[in-house]
Amino acid sequence: MDAIVELKNLRVEYRAPERGQGKKVAVKDLNLRVGAGEVFGFLGPNGAGKTTTMNVLLGFVNATSGAAYLFGVDVRQPISRQRIGYLPELTYYYKFLTAEELLRFYAKVFGIPRATAETRIERLLKLVELEQARKRPIRTYSKGMQQRVGLAQALINDPDLLILDEPTSGLDPLGRMKVREIIQRLKNEGKTVFFSSHELGEVETVCDRVAIIAQGELKVEGAVGELVTAHRANLEQIFLKLVGYTGAL
Amino acid sequence: MNTVMALAGIVIKELYRRKDFYVVFVLTAVMTLLLGSVNFFHDDKIVRYLKDVCLLLIWVSALVIAIVTSARQLPMERESRTIFPLLAKPVTRAQVIVGKFFGCWFAVGLGLLVFYFFFAVLAGSRDHRWPLAEYIQALWLQWSMLAMVIAGVLLGSLVFAAPSSNSTISFVVVAGILLLGRHLNQVALQQPEPLKTLVYVLYFVIPHLEWYDIRDRVSFDQALVPWADCGLATLYAAVYVAFLLFAAWLVFRRKPLNQ
Amino acid sequence: MKRPAPALVLIALATVSVSLGTVCERRVGQWSRRNQSDSVLKVLLGDGRRLFANHFFVMADVYFHSGYYPSVFDRRTGAEVDRRHLSGQEQEGEDGHDHEKEMSFLGRPKDWIESFGRHFMITEHTHLSGGGEREILPWLKLSAELDPQQVDTYTVAAFWLRNHLGKVQEAEQFLREGLRANPDSDQILFALGQLYYENYQDVDRARNVWELALRRWHEAESRNGKPEPFSREQITINLARLEEKAGNYQRAIAHLQEARLLSPAPAALDRQIDELRQKLRARPEAAQGK
Repeated sequence: MDAIVELKNLRVEYRAPERGQGKKVAVKDLNLRVGAGEVFGFLGPNGAGKTTTMNVLLGFVNATSGAAYLFGVDVRQPISRQRIGYLPELTYYYKFLTAEELLRFYAKVFGIPRATAETRIERLLKLVELEQARKRPIRTYSKGMQQRVGLAQALINDPDLLILDEPTSGLDPLGRMKVREIIQRLKNEGKTVFFSSHELGEVETVCDRVAIIAQGELKVEGAVGELVTAHRANLEQIFLKLVGYTGAL
Repeated sequence: MNTVMALAGIVIKELYRRKDFYVVFVLTAVMTLLLGSVNFFHDDKIVRYLKDVCLLLIWVSALVIAIVTSARQLPMERESRTIFPLLAKPVTRAQVIVGKFFGCWFAVGLGLLVFYFFFAVLAGSRDHRWPLAEYIQALWLQWSMLAMVIAGVLLGSLVFAAPSSNSTISFVVVAGILLLGRHLNQVALQQPEPLKTLVYVLYFVIPHLEWYDIRDRVSFDQALVPWADCGLATLYAAVYVAFLLFAAWLVFRRKPLNQ
Repeated sequence: MKRPAPALVLIALATVSVSLGTVCERRVGQWSRRNQSDSVLKVLLGDGRRLFANHFFVMADVYFHSGYYPSVFDRRTGAEVDRRHLSGQEQEGEDGHDHEKEMSFLGRPKDWIESFGRHFMITEHTHLSGGGEREILPWLKLSAELDPQQVDTYTVAAFWLRNHLGKVQEAEQFLREGLRANPDSDQILFALGQLYYENYQDVDRARNVWELALRRWHEAESRNGKPEPFSREQITINLARLEEKAGNYQRAIAHLQEARLLSPAPAALDRQIDELRQKLRARPEAAQGK
């Protein structure tokens, strides 16, 4: 199976902010593969290196050593991001734009023809239920609405790989259900989803495979069912054990 | 090119949705109209002082808009973290720099059109003549100068800690070049070595923004600057812009996106 | 206790403020002279207004030359502009030649940058003419507004207003403003006299004003004020012309004799005195001062 996401001995170091502390290793020799059509959960406690790994995949940060590939293309090439959609944890969009304008802007960045873009914008605004608010500036949106705009912009280019960072963070149960539905629908369409989340119950429901990292190192990787069977515990207990919480099992 | 123009469009939208331009334009218009309403010895044909003052206000306003708008582009992208979803698309950092430059430049250009239209109407109402070629030339040269300023400020926004410090330093540098740039060689000749050499080197290195200031020619109804010279000045500006944007890219590509 | 409505409190405070302001106004007026200023610019700029006034006077000269003017740096290297041409005192010949020389301050360009830069500058020496002189008036007006004690401003403006722009009434009004601010100014009085003599052809009024100007000059001298000798020469020579035209040769001679005391060219004045004496001898009844 061709890997959609591939990390080979990925290492990311950065200089510690405090003087005399030397270098800090955020990601230590991480090896990971995500196949096409998978829903892959990327789990770990705060500070484990999840965000840093995602930043490398998205080209925000350069790896100190090792390599990362999207669709077989080195992530340092901007073209590697042509077929991905990214939903950040916190919504960061131009507040002075309307939802429609934002989607149109990103469609232009992807080089999507105008007619196709307009059709897609209509569909996406309907999907995320922002039709009524499409002409209002984003700064007037609630947090939930901003998250939905984020989801819409992540889907504007009909991506083959969706990278989601805490996609249900800040959403009400209805919103979370919507996100789960979208992930399931994308999976049915053969898309790949790579997401990090602290909602382990949700991860257990939607993910095919998971990887758990802690302190920059990969602790375990595998299909959810297999992990649960092997450890004879639910995903949360496995997580707590692997990250060093001894009271877990 | 699509990406660059899309980014430019965002900057233009931002400018006309903020109040900066409207405030500056209204101030310019009010001050000029007030001055125009003053009666000097019952002579309503006096027009040059009005043109002079109006053009000065246009220059100051355009510089304010250019510097303030450019100074906040990249820091704001990083501070509001909109840079992340942007760079998660197939967008390079070079495209971001170039897109921001064109956005600021086109936005300022649109502002200049409005200012010069106002100026033409005001001057024409007194003068009863409309030397459009002169006005177009003055606008074009000013716009070319502002391209260099914008590119410099974009570089400054990656070097200096805050937009406010970048803006202040940029204003001082630009004002210094406009007022003194022409005379630095004279100043150099009056200095002892090694200051003489230093000042002379500075004289050759700085972009000579004062060439583009032909307000006097417009106010005093002088002939057009030869278009060939205009073309050379535009080329000079283009070279400086390319250099400054390249330097900005060199800095930006290594800069961490997190503060 | 019921709390008073905020509006009532505001009204009460406003009433107290206005009343206090009215009461204090007269007292505050005695603290400084600033209240006597009737100009916003004067209040805003304080004593620095004189610098601006001087700058605006220079701006008038810049406008007179349609933008071709030495900068501060050019002046540091020797280029200085004599203001006399702006007041019309420059004569043809040597003075005109000197002016042309001092305005050739650009010289050869020192490098390609300066050479190219000159294509965008104004490099031709011209003077405004044909009614274009009106363009210098706003700067002169502003200069006078900021520094009413700068006498040149009034005389220069009046010169152009009456001689080139056909605005004699405006010139008179402006000179009178200058006189109000400078009641002892012989130069303004002289300019006013010129206006009455040349534009209104009012000989008696011109005589009175010029004689007053001369008295003011002498008063200034006696106060050790060091008034301009050229000013006295101008006044006396013009009085002499006036008297000569009126047929009062004796008085004309007296004025010329006073003029030659300080004149750099007494020989020319001596010739004129001789001519007048001849006229006097030829017409004895003129000696009676008719």
